[in-house]
Amino acid sequence: MSSEYRKFKRKFLKNPLNIICSLIFIFFLLVAFFPSFFAPYNPLTMDPDSFMSPPSSQHWFGTDQFGRDILSRIIYGVQGSLFIASMAIVFASIAGTIIGSVSGYFGGAVDNIIMRFIDAMFAFPSIILALFIIALFGATIRNLIIAIGIIYIPIFSRTIRGSAISIKQNLYIVSARSIGKKSSKIILTDIIPNISSIFIVSFTTNFSTAILSEASLGFLGLGVPPPYPTLGRMVGDGNNFLLSAPWITLFPGLIIAVIVLSINIVGDGLRDTLDPKN
Amino acid sequence: MKLAYIIGRLISAIPTIIILTLFVFIAIHMVPGDVIDIMLGTQNFLSEEQMQELYVKYGLDKPVAVQYLVWLKNMVTGDLGTSIRTGEKVTSMIAQKFPVTFELAFLSIIFSIIIGIPFGIISAVKKNTKTDYSIRFLGLIGLSAPVFWIGSLLIVFISGTFVNYTLFGFVPFIQEPLKNLQVMLVPAITLGLMVAAQIMRMSRNSMLDVLSQEYIKVAYAKGVSKRKIIMKHALRNALIPVVTIAGIQLGYLIGGTIIIEKMFALPGMGRLLLQAVNQRDYPVVQGIVTFIGVMIILINILVDILYSVIDPRIDLN
Amino acid sequence: MKKNLVISIFLVLFIAISVFGVNYGGTLNYAIATEAVGLDPNLVTAFASFRILENVYDTLLKYDESMNIVPGLAESYEIVDPTTIVFTIRDGVKFHDGTPLTVDDVAFTFERILDENYGSPAASNFAEIESIKIIGDNKIEFKLKISMMNALLPNFTSGNTAIVSKAFVEGGANMQLETNGTGPFYISDYKAGNYIELKKNENYYEEGLPYLDGIKFHIIPEEISRVSAIRNGDVDLASLDEPTSVGMLAGNYKVFKQPVLNYYLLGINTAVKPLDDPKVRQAISYALNRENIIKMVAFGEGTVTGPMNPTVTAWALPPEDFAIYDTNIEKAKELLTEAGYPNGIEFSITCSAQYSFDKIAQVIQAQLAEAGIKVNIDLVEWGIFIDKWKKVDFDSFVSLNGGAVEPDKQFYRTFYSTGSTNKFNFSNEKADELLDAGRETVEYEKRKEIYDEFQKLIVDESPIIFLYCSNNIYAGQKSVEGFKTMSNGSLTFLREVWLNK
Repeated sequence: MSSEYRKFKRKFLKNPLNIICSLIFIFFLLVAFFPSFFAPYNPLTMDPDSFMSPPSSQHWFGTDQFGRDILSRIIYGVQGSLFIASMAIVFASIAGTIIGSVSGYFGGAVDNIIMRFIDAMFAFPSIILALFIIALFGATIRNLIIAIGIIYIPIFSRTIRGSAISIKQNLYIVSARSIGKKSSKIILTDIIPNISSIFIVSFTTNFSTAILSEASLGFLGLGVPPPYPTLGRMVGDGNNFLLSAPWITLFPGLIIAVIVLSINIVGDGLRDTLDPKN
Repeated sequence: MKLAYIIGRLISAIPTIIILTLFVFIAIHMVPGDVIDIMLGTQNFLSEEQMQELYVKYGLDKPVAVQYLVWLKNMVTGDLGTSIRTGEKVTSMIAQKFPVTFELAFLSIIFSIIIGIPFGIISAVKKNTKTDYSIRFLGLIGLSAPVFWIGSLLIVFISGTFVNYTLFGFVPFIQEPLKNLQVMLVPAITLGLMVAAQIMRMSRNSMLDVLSQEYIKVAYAKGVSKRKIIMKHALRNALIPVVTIAGIQLGYLIGGTIIIEKMFALPGMGRLLLQAVNQRDYPVVQGIVTFIGVMIILINILVDILYSVIDPRIDLN
Repeated sequence: MKKNLVISIFLVLFIAISVFGVNYGGTLNYAIATEAVGLDPNLVTAFASFRILENVYDTLLKYDESMNIVPGLAESYEIVDPTTIVFTIRDGVKFHDGTPLTVDDVAFTFERILDENYGSPAASNFAEIESIKIIGDNKIEFKLKISMMNALLPNFTSGNTAIVSKAFVEGGANMQLETNGTGPFYISDYKAGNYIELKKNENYYEEGLPYLDGIKFHIIPEEISRVSAIRNGDVDLASLDEPTSVGMLAGNYKVFKQPVLNYYLLGINTAVKPLDDPKVRQAISYALNRENIIKMVAFGEGTVTGPMNPTVTAWALPPEDFAIYDTNIEKAKELLTEAGYPNGIEFSITCSAQYSFDKIAQVIQAQLAEAGIKVNIDLVEWGIFIDKWKKVDFDSFVSLNGGAVEPDKQFYRTFYSTGSTNKFNFSNEKADELLDAGRETVEYEKRKEIYDEFQKLIVDESPIIFLYCSNNIYAGQKSVEGFKTMSNGSLTFLREVWLNK
């Protein structure tokens, strides 16, 4: 195990891009965990005397419509966005792993019924699905997490199901079944641990798109309740001012791009390293 | 054999569609605020009796289960009902809007293929070189920013730089092909950037797969030139999985153009759906979601068939 | 007399010059944000529908630029006695299909509006009508149950009372999709989600109008896209939401700003604690700084308003007359202590994300925090907002109310204890008395006194905390001439627009 880990580490770190992006991501994680350490101002304090002021030495990223410091709002927004996206993906991946492995392992009618539901979810335009959930249960952070999570359940279910089916063919599982090992036990002890690399890769890629989903919902006015910032909401709210006060939407947009890009590159790196073909 | 497969797939699509329509029906009726309330807004001066008359007029006084069955029965005969807000037939609304959305999705896919495949191949051939890294880096940028953000940046950039470029004012392709393409170009690129990154990644991976195959190695050993190997032998096989991705993305885009349509003021189905949900125009919402669902399922089946046509090794059974 | 003559000559000259200086023809491309929802004038409620329909249909009476009521399809009207009014219908007016307008069409339209099975939002405006009768070839008489002429007249200018063709409706036309009006333009093409195209009505009854051959309304939802469409010349004229957009257009483009009657408000459910105490509501008003709300939400493009907008109506009492409009945090805290809440209060504001409601709520939240009032913002989707509004399921809400120049229209249904849009659980005997008196009084001086008293009462009670009226913003190319804006947001003066190209 430890030699395998070392091999993985060596391979992953061979690419300098992987190192840089991992560091960037770790930096943003720190920002998310300790926003009060980084933020120069209270992100909620309004100032009617200096609203929409361009970047300056006092406000590095300028101020928004209400005179709130954009840098500070971005810092808290990173926390909000990363929290929402990660919780949504945790929720989706747990649900998706359970659904996918059960479906893949049992096959037959169970698989058929589950997959028809998954197909139907896939065929549902995702933004409208999220809109329904938020409209039904209210715009709170918890409901936003559920709404984004539900979009990703079918994606995880399908991926996990695919690998579960191929793992099922393996000799050790066939023999475990023949000696009468319980299905639930096989799924937990044999199937799920063996799909970990697929799981890790799809976790990272979907995590990055979940950050973008939050942004899209923010653009449609379906974000977290104000005044708490998330990056997506900030970009969406500032969009009307792209011509008159571009910094309001440009900076949070850039930060989203940097975070998502670094996660994507780390994800690609992980995929390359974990892929047995390489 | 093939026919039997297609029929089997179509039959298995039926329960999916029914589940989908049930989802929509329950969701749209559970969300508070109904079509009549929203129609009257906060300037509502009607009495309870007058309101009741309106519910009866639109058949909304019946239990939801009954409304669903009536709708389902009509749907089977191809009748998706009429919009409560405008009285227009839902089928004719879809017929008007779907071509716009389809064109947008289709052009995006074309753009992403033009960009994605060549770069993906180059990236694979020059694996682990600076070229490979920079292509992959650039490609990921397309996947990394909110699509509406890129869209607004492009709108502002183009309207400020190319003052005479027509960004808005959609016309159908058959009426004015040139203007149509001009108006569709920027939104298609915006949407296509995201898909291009995925196509690129898929082409690269699949090319790498093919290049590691035994017969390619044999060809190398025989002294066939690298260029010839890639163009003649590897490319065809490498492109097969890319077709699947392109197909799946096309299906996804048909339901996923809402934001771009809003941004670029395109009269497509996504915007109509969003508007109908906001107005709780039940027949329109149900009709469009069902239609999108059917389209996605049909495209997936088509992709599978196409897959078996271009790769005879794949057995649909 | 002489003076009048001079003025008349000037007027004639002025009209002559302006008419001769006009270019006829051309199509105006106009960018609007929201699409018309239905085209039946007697049924629609969406502002976006009215903006189109007021160019296609006509009403018996209409507003001029300064919001005076002037004749429309009725060439004149006569108030026979306090409960009777007779309209004389204009001769020679034709519907777009070529059939002449008759008094039958007028009678039919009002029967249609009053038909209970039909659900016209205008019906309640005519609830006090006793009878409608055609008298003679071109006269129609409305009889009222009570004397309320002043309050009734503005209803005949409402887009919901536009005159439709009897034969057309009875012929089975789908009025939500098809139009047949008497207005300066007719709808020649409608591509939902894309554009609505209007063409000139050659038979329009106002001599020489309209100047344009047509108007094409392009539906462009995003603000940034509308501004860009102006910048690259895709459209000639646009309605804008954000005053800051103007900064990008000033100089090279024409910008129009128009104070409007619609007013932003914080509506309060006066039946829930702690908001049931007028002192608490006054404390909220003291803690607010309305100028700063206008500054941050509307970038200065707005006016602080009392119960009526002081910039557009003579009935209004200026906001300076109301003590509780002065920002005074100490006073707010004092009032809260008097009301028994020395440690402050907490309540929620329900709002949706359109028309800047969520932004106003955020500023209110920040301002009230200084007075120890904790506000939670409940941001909901528009449909849910309406549901909550209808069921009075809120502590308070931020919204935009349609305003009027006529005080009865402005106040009656909103503040009368049984008023249809009184969603504040507000019930005050004195207020009801004043509203009834104002409705029935004819003489201006007396009415003014009544409504002055009413305005003071309503500010003291504050079931609504009036915030501000914003300015509508329009921007256009330099070639757009003759565009006039109106305080009710109407685009009816597009008939006088011409292109200087």
